[in-house]
Amino acid sequence: MSTTPAANRKAILVTPEVCIGCRGCQTACKSWNQLPGIPTKNRGSAQNPPDLESNTYNIIRYSELPSENNPVRWLFISRRCMHCDDAGCMKICPAPGALYKTREGAVAFDRDKCIGCRLCVAGCPFDVPRYDKNNKVMKCHLCYDRIAEGLEPACSKACPTGALRFGDRDKLIESARKAGHEKIYGEADLGGLGSIFAFKDAPKIYGYAEKPGIPESVVFWHTVLKPFAVVGLGGAVAAALLHYVIVGPHREEEVQ
Amino acid sequence: MAEMVRKAKTGEIVNHWVLAVSCILLIITGYAFLFQLKQIGALFGGFNAMKAVHNWAGVVFSLSLLATTYSYLSESLHLGPDDREWLRKGGGYLTRDKPVKIPPMGKLNTGQKLYYLAVLLGGIAIAVSGFVIWFWPDGRVIRIVSHLAHNLAFSLFIVAVPVHAYLGSLANPGTFRIMVYGTVPLEFARKKYPKWIEEMKRK
Repeated sequence: MSTTPAANRKAILVTPEVCIGCRGCQTACKSWNQLPGIPTKNRGSAQNPPDLESNTYNIIRYSELPSENNPVRWLFISRRCMHCDDAGCMKICPAPGALYKTREGAVAFDRDKCIGCRLCVAGCPFDVPRYDKNNKVMKCHLCYDRIAEGLEPACSKACPTGALRFGDRDKLIESARKAGHEKIYGEADLGGLGSIFAFKDAPKIYGYAEKPGIPESVVFWHTVLKPFAVVGLGGAVAAALLHYVIVGPHREEEVQ
Repeated sequence: MAEMVRKAKTGEIVNHWVLAVSCILLIITGYAFLFQLKQIGALFGGFNAMKAVHNWAGVVFSLSLLATTYSYLSESLHLGPDDREWLRKGGGYLTRDKPVKIPPMGKLNTGQKLYYLAVLLGGIAIAVSGFVIWFWPDGRVIRIVSHLAHNLAFSLFIVAVPVHAYLGSLANPGTFRIMVYGTVPLEFARKKYPKWIEEMKRK
């Protein structure tokens, strides 16, 4: 199921410190993907809606943290599908073709093939997949329809500051290195993410796990229980056949 | 014709078939989901339709499993010294040359009792986790736990069910007819289920 990394793997590089929190990316995403706008509520934060939704593929998270020289430090972080190379959602999905990898390395979805079981919710390390009213999966697909035609995704196209940059994954990592980022979040995690982050600080400051991973039970299921489904059934049938041939059936008349 | 003794009532025979057919249907569709087997999906008219078959077969299986508690549960919970001895001798199934004298058994032998208890517990686990996956769409942790429970119980079924089917047919000539007619010859029953026959005589 794991695909070989695409030679022309594309990615989005997120640089939170460059983001001004304008949310042009959120708007452009809704516009391109024809997702409805929804009334927002004041919850004491400019972050709206509070998290990803079936009609909101990306959001800007607004974090207020105290810093050394300021009572408040604003952080704006783009949150969206990470387009993992080793994608937990694809691993756990029971419906062929419902979630698939594009040639550019995007994890896209096919609503006709989705059966609405919502197991991808359990497989995703980043709590990304959402379901709409028709019980079909909805999430960022890296604008696979645009990038296949040589365009860039709607969000990065709309970004006025370069906080979201789209391009060849290797080149983006190289340029982030040159800009002084020693570690790039997502460079190697889960086989390499398609959304990579140039963090200045520890990932947890930005709301991301230090070492993201597919839930252990899902890994156990994939590496142990799935092979056992073949070996176990085959073994039980083989044992029965061997018993019949070697020991033979149990005949009451023989037992006295 | 030899004198026959009734071991299974008509309702029990029907319910066992309902349980068996739904279980096999669930296992087949389960494998198709587990390994994304498109060919099996096509047999059901696609994965969306197969999901409906899997879910509703699950409902049938759960109800049928519930009904089995009436037939087999109390007998299966009666485990004694004879059962320990039966297990020590592997039920007499493990040697060819000298037929092993096993302790006298009741209506169900030790293996059947333990199999029933395993299927009941595994069945409860697979049914509850299945219904959670079906009807409880929100909550990431509960889905992770249910997915694991569903697959662990599945691992039990795919090993236990083929062994059960073999032991109830080819391995024990003369027993498969219980699943069809519900009766066995009295002489056969005296040897196979002596404690049960004694018990019936006393009544």
